[in-house]
Amino acid sequence: MSQSVNTVEYNEDELFRFVEEEDMKASEKIIAPRYSYWRSVFRVFFKKKINIAMIIFLVMIVLVSFIMPIFWPYDPFENVTNASSFNLKPSAAMEMFGGFSFKYLLGTGAMGNSILYGIVSSARTSLLLAVICASINMVVGIIVGAVWGYSKQVDAVMLVIYNIVANIPMILLIAVLVYVIGSGFWSFIFALTITGWLGIAYFFRTQVMIIRDREYSLASRCLGTPIPRVISKNILPFLTSVIVTILATELPSYISMEVFLSYIGIGLSASVPSLGRMIQQAQTGFLTYPWEFWPPVAIASAITIILYVLGQNLADASDPRTHMM
Amino acid sequence: MKKYMFKRILFSIFSLLVVVMLVMVLVYTMIERNVIFQTDDMWNKKSNNDRSIYEYAQYEKYGYLTYRDYTSFVKDKYVEIYGEEYFSQPDYLADKNAVQDPDNFQSNATVQEFIQEYQAKGYTFKYFAPMVFKSGKTKPGGQGYLLAVHEKMPVLRLFDYIKGFITIETTNDVKDENLTDRYIRVEKDPYSGLFAVVGSGTQHKYLLYFDNRFPFIHQNWIHINLGTSFTTYRGQEITSVINNPTGELIKTMQQYPAMLGTDEYVETAIDFHSLSYNPGVLSDVEKTQFPDQYTVYQYKRGGLSMIQNSFVIGLIATIISYMLGLPLGILMARRKDKLADKLGNAYIIFIMAVPSLAYIFMFAALGTSLFHLPYKFANAEVKVLAYILPTISLALPSIGSLMKWMRRYMIDQMNSDYVKFARAEGMSEKEIFSIHISKNAMIYLVHGIPASILGCLTGAIITERVYSVPGVGGLLTTAINSHDNGIIVACTVFYTSLSILAQILGDVLLAKYDPRISLSEEGGGGR
Repeated sequence: MSQSVNTVEYNEDELFRFVEEEDMKASEKIIAPRYSYWRSVFRVFFKKKINIAMIIFLVMIVLVSFIMPIFWPYDPFENVTNASSFNLKPSAAMEMFGGFSFKYLLGTGAMGNSILYGIVSSARTSLLLAVICASINMVVGIIVGAVWGYSKQVDAVMLVIYNIVANIPMILLIAVLVYVIGSGFWSFIFALTITGWLGIAYFFRTQVMIIRDREYSLASRCLGTPIPRVISKNILPFLTSVIVTILATELPSYISMEVFLSYIGIGLSASVPSLGRMIQQAQTGFLTYPWEFWPPVAIASAITIILYVLGQNLADASDPRTHMM
Repeated sequence: MKKYMFKRILFSIFSLLVVVMLVMVLVYTMIERNVIFQTDDMWNKKSNNDRSIYEYAQYEKYGYLTYRDYTSFVKDKYVEIYGEEYFSQPDYLADKNAVQDPDNFQSNATVQEFIQEYQAKGYTFKYFAPMVFKSGKTKPGGQGYLLAVHEKMPVLRLFDYIKGFITIETTNDVKDENLTDRYIRVEKDPYSGLFAVVGSGTQHKYLLYFDNRFPFIHQNWIHINLGTSFTTYRGQEITSVINNPTGELIKTMQQYPAMLGTDEYVETAIDFHSLSYNPGVLSDVEKTQFPDQYTVYQYKRGGLSMIQNSFVIGLIATIISYMLGLPLGILMARRKDKLADKLGNAYIIFIMAVPSLAYIFMFAALGTSLFHLPYKFANAEVKVLAYILPTISLALPSIGSLMKWMRRYMIDQMNSDYVKFARAEGMSEKEIFSIHISKNAMIYLVHGIPASILGCLTGAIITERVYSVPGVGGLLTTAINSHDNGIIVACTVFYTSLSILAQILGDVLLAKYDPRISLSEEGGGGR
């Protein structure tokens, strides 16, 4: 019996063989579904049909408000000498200017100006204002906020500044600045952004502080990762959804702000077409000349609601916890 | 805790001062100062050099600078030498007219004395040469002037402002040598029938008194002067502008002080508690009406003051918004992802995104056309109805934001361990929500309560403007539009102190509501 055991011949090739190089690579990896952060964000984002509809609306408003004024420029004073063209409702305006016209679809304003052309040009101003102000404030706010939250020395100094500046009434600051440097488009942006970033930076500082002291961040620090790398690789990716959430409230807020400031008389100068100014001019007769008042209100509301909803949904989508299948 | 509060209050005062300083620098040095004459009739009537001198006089009044006119310097010099008869002295006239000679005026001895004295004090000199027609006649208002001007430093302006901020009346306030009987004592008040603190030698006669108007006890003892209006309410103090009732005069049968004890009554709206000292000579009529020099009075007016109007509307709106916003937020959290939640979210998005101006007007249009509520505040036939639209307009945004945060915090709390434990114990969902979750969710909202109540004192800019409510909301914006630096500074101080106070009260309330929170401990950043 024992002999028979000994006589069994083993072929070494059957027991062991070298694996192919391809398989070796595969065995080193954990098999997991492919995950790309941004692709998942957009997958979740576009799953909601309302977002697609909103984007189409937004693109339409942007295209119309940026392209139309090139071909049909808005001149608020074109009929200013013709007093009979003032405050005409759509049908009367079209009758006066010879039959159906796209231009007088919404009637005329207090100086014979075309309401439709007015709101289109003003929408462009509002959109530009919102995008420029939001980008300046967001960029400065996030950079300052990241440093502010990370460094304790900076925190001590910035807190004092914040506690002082946050107490100055915002209207006062903007009004004085607009008064001093003029109320053109760019000076208005300057007035809105000079302290506008501070609130964002403060909010962001708190968020950074919460994550700064998490274990993985601490471990990374112990291993000697340089601070800029900790901020950019450990902390900022975690805050993408927070950034988008801020953006979602920031963008529409500048449009509302412009409307509000123009209404109280500290807004953009008369040479810049703006929704706020149109609303302010029409508000005294909003019961008698409703066609002058409601179109700018409607377009301002539409833009702000679209931006807000899109921003909120994008913020939800950019939270990795929603990416689970 | 005490040490913490002390430190905190010190820092608050410091930041308040810095804010006031910043605003003063902004409005006094960065804005063209001649805008204050845009609505000034006196300025329009004057011409040439007279107008320039008038401008300097106004600048001094408004606190931009201090200046000394050479004419008054000469006058003071000769009054000292000759007394009352100075104006007929030939050397006085010669010195006074020296500035009418543009070529040689600096060789005059008195002019040199003037220049030397004020140069030493750091003044600069402005010479306005006489303006003459070709015929040699002086143009109207064209006399020559010499001024020594000293621009106020922003720091000094702040110092002056602080110095005049609080005044307490004392018996030495009246500078009158004939008034020997000076006292402050408690007397029986003939107008209220109760007791009052009466002063003699003080600016006001009645320092502390009772009457039949809310809050029934009043005082003239301590005055807080936030600032003086330059243009909008020419020369009035802001505190009295916003505190004095704006309604009709109230006439009642009253007795002048000299009539007391007789049967004589007069129908008048005079508020005899407001009597203050008259430094001038009394007229014959006044002598029959008043036994002493306290003859300057104000009238009694009905209605609410500007700040009361704003506060009433704001407070009702705040109460409505907490009473609606919190339960609705709880409801949304309980019915998460159901119809109630979706409707609530739609409302929140609408309120957050749409410009407030837009929905206030939408609401105004709705209220006036559907329910025939009065649109303009002053036109209301039934006064109570006039409050409905403004209060609800004001409550709309705060309801939205309270709903949003209450829902958020409730949902955050719903997955905590203590809720699971409470469920395991067999508590009903209703109990869990009303006893456990809402209490914990409220922690985050308690902090904002003082801010929303104190915020009512600053008024609501848009709502008040849309419905023409006579409140304080428009004070700052009208001040900015009419370049009224006094009101701007006053508003800054007022708003800033309210917001600082609200922060402190909010923190204290939070610490009281949630005993786990300790203020004095050094926290590691946001919670």
